[in-house]
Amino acid sequence: MIEAAPITAVMRTLADPTRRAVFERIVGCDEITVVELTRGSGVTQGAISQHLKSLKQAGLVAERASGRNVYYRAEPEGLAPLVDWMSHYAVFWRDRFADLRTLLKEIDP
Amino acid sequence: MNDVATMAGSQQILVDEVFPHTLDVVWKTLTTPELMARWLHMEPVGFSPTVGTRFTYQTTPAGPWDGVIHCQVLDATPNQRLAYSWKGGHEDNVGYGSRLDTVVTFVLSAAETGTRVRLSHAGFVLPRNETAFENMSKGWTKVVASIGALAAEQG
Repeated sequence: MIEAAPITAVMRTLADPTRRAVFERIVGCDEITVVELTRGSGVTQGAISQHLKSLKQAGLVAERASGRNVYYRAEPEGLAPLVDWMSHYAVFWRDRFADLRTLLKEIDP
Repeated sequence: MNDVATMAGSQQILVDEVFPHTLDVVWKTLTTPELMARWLHMEPVGFSPTVGTRFTYQTTPAGPWDGVIHCQVLDATPNQRLAYSWKGGHEDNVGYGSRLDTVVTFVLSAAETGTRVRLSHAGFVLPRNETAFENMSKGWTKVVASIGALAAEQG
């Protein structure tokens, strides 16, 4: 069998449009705080914090505490599972084999 | 990236499963265009199980790439082995849609409970070093922009 867990986790994390928007904003600057991220986002600081937690768990974002502030920055390694075709096709073939099994059952019960 | 990828430079995907059907039925499902389209969800345009045949799949385009995968049958031994080249992508793309020059091989064999199918998709060149990661971070905007489409495609 093939191992496709990392890419699935990254995709699941980034499939949420709001979370993706948060991530894009972090990517767009060197470092940013929750307060700055919340400003103009249209969602609460609590919601932003939840998204940051998910992004951290997926390895997409790292944090650094300085005084009373916590600064967030993007982590390039976290995107590694997405940057190559191989991960794409690992998922592709796993799914297609499942569909092949279903089709075989259908045409040859 | 891990050490294996660093050393090998080129990687393959392996899937190995047993299907509770005869060799004949499995071979037919892997090599009949109408049936291929039903489990691959892409129509193999121009396919026939004869060596040398060129055919294409149409998938999701990315940037300068039109989404066409160009294939040529390399081996078609009934009930045993189907292999074809699988080329596509564009050098300007990062991640999904980047250049790809690979080979897909299905090896069939009789198993106690049916037919064993071993798929290999070989020839992937992965980002191998820190420079690749640096280049990648410059290409982030592009990568992030394509994530929505990719995630949607994966469901």
